Amino acid sequence: MLELNVQTLAFFVFALFVLGGGLGVITTRNLVHGTLYLILSLFGVAGFFVLLSAPFLAVVQVLVYIGAIAILIVFAVMLTRSMTSLHEVVNRQWVLSTIVAVLLFVMLTVTIILPVWGQDGSLAGQPVSEVVATTTDLGKALVDGNQYVLPFEVASLLLTAAMIGAIVIARDDE
Amino acid sequence: MFQVPTIADLNLGLTLPALSLALGACVLLLLDLFVPRERKEITAWLAMAGIAVSFVLNLAGFNESGTAFLGTFAADQFTGFLNIVILITAFLGVLLSLDYLKRAKIERGEYYVLLLLSAAGMMFMSSANDLIVVFIALELLSIPLYIMATFRAPDLKSEESGMKYFILGAFAGAFFVYGAALVYGATGTTNLPEIFAAVNGIIAAGGSQMFLLLMGTGLILVGLGFKVAVVPFHMWTPDVYEGAPTPVTAFMSVGAKAGGFAGLLRIMVVALPVFVLKDGQTAAAWQQTFWLVAAATLILGNIVAIAQTNVKRMLAYSSIAHAGYIMMAVAAAGTAGVANEATRAALLYLMAYMFTNLGAFGIALAIEKDDGSDTGVDNFIGLAKSKPALAAMMTVFMLSLTGIPLTGGFVGKWFVFKSALDAGLVPLAIIGVLTSVISAFYYVRIIVNMYLKDGEGDPAAGATRYVNWAIYVAFAGTLLMGIFPWIATNLSDTVVLAVEMFVR
Amino acid sequence: MALQEFAPAAALLGLSVLVALLVVMLSRLLGPHRPTSRKQAPYESGMKPIGQAVRRMPVKFYLVAVLFIIFDIEVIFFLPWAVVFRDLGVYGLIIMGVFLFILTVGFIYEWKKGALEWE
Repeated sequence: MLELNVQTLAFFVFALFVLGGGLGVITTRNLVHGTLYLILSLFGVAGFFVLLSAPFLAVVQVLVYIGAIAILIVFAVMLTRSMTSLHEVVNRQWVLSTIVAVLLFVMLTVTIILPVWGQDGSLAGQPVSEVVATTTDLGKALVDGNQYVLPFEVASLLLTAAMIGAIVIARDDE
Repeated sequence: MFQVPTIADLNLGLTLPALSLALGACVLLLLDLFVPRERKEITAWLAMAGIAVSFVLNLAGFNESGTAFLGTFAADQFTGFLNIVILITAFLGVLLSLDYLKRAKIERGEYYVLLLLSAAGMMFMSSANDLIVVFIALELLSIPLYIMATFRAPDLKSEESGMKYFILGAFAGAFFVYGAALVYGATGTTNLPEIFAAVNGIIAAGGSQMFLLLMGTGLILVGLGFKVAVVPFHMWTPDVYEGAPTPVTAFMSVGAKAGGFAGLLRIMVVALPVFVLKDGQTAAAWQQTFWLVAAATLILGNIVAIAQTNVKRMLAYSSIAHAGYIMMAVAAAGTAGVANEATRAALLYLMAYMFTNLGAFGIALAIEKDDGSDTGVDNFIGLAKSKPALAAMMTVFMLSLTGIPLTGGFVGKWFVFKSALDAGLVPLAIIGVLTSVISAFYYVRIIVNMYLKDGEGDPAAGATRYVNWAIYVAFAGTLLMGIFPWIATNLSDTVVLAVEMFVR
Repeated sequence: MALQEFAPAAALLGLSVLVALLVVMLSRLLGPHRPTSRKQAPYESGMKPIGQAVRRMPVKFYLVAVLFIIFDIEVIFFLPWAVVFRDLGVYGLIIMGVFLFILTVGFIYEWKKGALEWE
């Protein structure tokens, strides 16, 4: 089932990045280090996009998440007062949160694994959609074809709303 | 091969109400730049004009139905009815804000633009026919609300309100997307009618895609359940409602619920009505869960509301309770054959709740001081002496929230309970009736405070001209709907969301 | 899309990590190591660091970064459209025109509000 080739190897390396980075984010007491772990994790996700034949999304991931959002998080960290020595890694509700998180994890894992390796394995090796997303397909899908023209236009409204929000919150009306 | 569509293919005529409001918001953003700071009421009037245009367009196209934007946008009576609710909410929201923002010294033109954008998001939600549209409409309705909730900054409560709403809202949005992705994984499409078609095949094959669908539905319920504030996703509601400026609370308590339930009903009734675990069952697999959520919401919302001393917090818990009644209708929609009736009940309940709740928040806003204090339940003591008209209208609003006959609230509850009984959810209907009786306790307490307790009576300095207008409209709506319910029921007489209910 | 197409990218990534490590290692191994108190200071020939290193910075930086992200995402929407815009003809132009109109309104607002000015 699992043959050891470059693809499998790359998958495990990226998985290590994603999970290790994620674990680093929640365990470190230093917010700056947390941001760096987050970048590692996001980079792993970009790698997944490459493995999933979605190079455009991989580039977007690097450009937006690593390039812009990570920088934003660094700014946000610099705006906070005590960024290098958080005293508590967990809060009072950690027992309950752990139970809920583990339950959700088990349910999601079962949900996703069963259709592929379950009693009928009905989804094994089948792509959900026949559309192979090259950038060209994506461009067509955004304006038509796969019907995403409305979300595309509403996205611009959303960006405008976000822009107004940034200015309203960060700038006084003078 | 790939065929470039034409603009005519998009069928824009059907989308005019939502589009006009969205573009109106953009134009308003430009115009507001030229409105001098001390005359921001001009922006408010322009916003109301935009809402009125959209309202007229909505009425003009009320009886047309069809899809637009290549199947991602559905226009039908469900849309038309909800658009009426959303646009009246937005209109009254602007009226309530006009003087309040001045009093609180937080008047900025952007406020009205954000309100319009949020209303446009709700309207896109009410006609969403695709999971991606539901998601992006959800974000468009939420993001302006996050900003509006912090409008009182640097007031700490307002900042806390916006921050809490934003972080939890973003989290809920992520749940929704995860759910939508799993549903896409099971069916291979995000279009709601196509999902409906694919579900039949999945049930017939008995494949394990069922798990994907089940988990996806659950995660969608988490995402939208947060928006409409049902238990156990209600924790944010009291803090956010209390901290946000009162007109924002009024707007979001109705608007976000209308939008959230619109999305929930569309997904559950259009896409997943026949989603059963075994072939031959008559109730959808999600009905049990919705039943439990509705029951928990009714019980918790109504009981915790009793303990509240702040009227905004009290109305927050009351709004949780009312989400429970609407949830009851959504649960009823899971039974084959009742779906359309239950959808209609939810719509009527939303309309009754809209008038009543906006009126109640309007009066809470009227007795509020300029700095946002004095919104306690005790501040209503003696209001019947100082402001008899306001007290009388507040009495009607409280009775309507309880569900006393001759008010809109009764009509809404009547249809919801009836659909629950028709769907065979008798225990749920009984819980609904019992919790309505419990709710009388905290609603009547305000009436008792106003009429029977001795006190100075609040001068109600906030009851300025426009606030009064908004309260009058809400008052008239509440009574009209209670005395002449057919006005509202005629508007929703052909609400048909579920297709081929019996064909399977 | 075959994974081989990404071989150059992977090679570049590996090479840059290697070079970075090499430069640090080599200068440590080969360079003379004679520390003085002045050389050990955070800025060898700069100002003396006084006070806390962690200062809260003005929110303006943040505003610029947020606005940058918004336009970044806008450009990302442009790219796939630009790849196929010849196929889409006038229709595609109108669709993108509406998208751009809405964002331009936002941009004019931002400009007039002075969010792009530093003071």
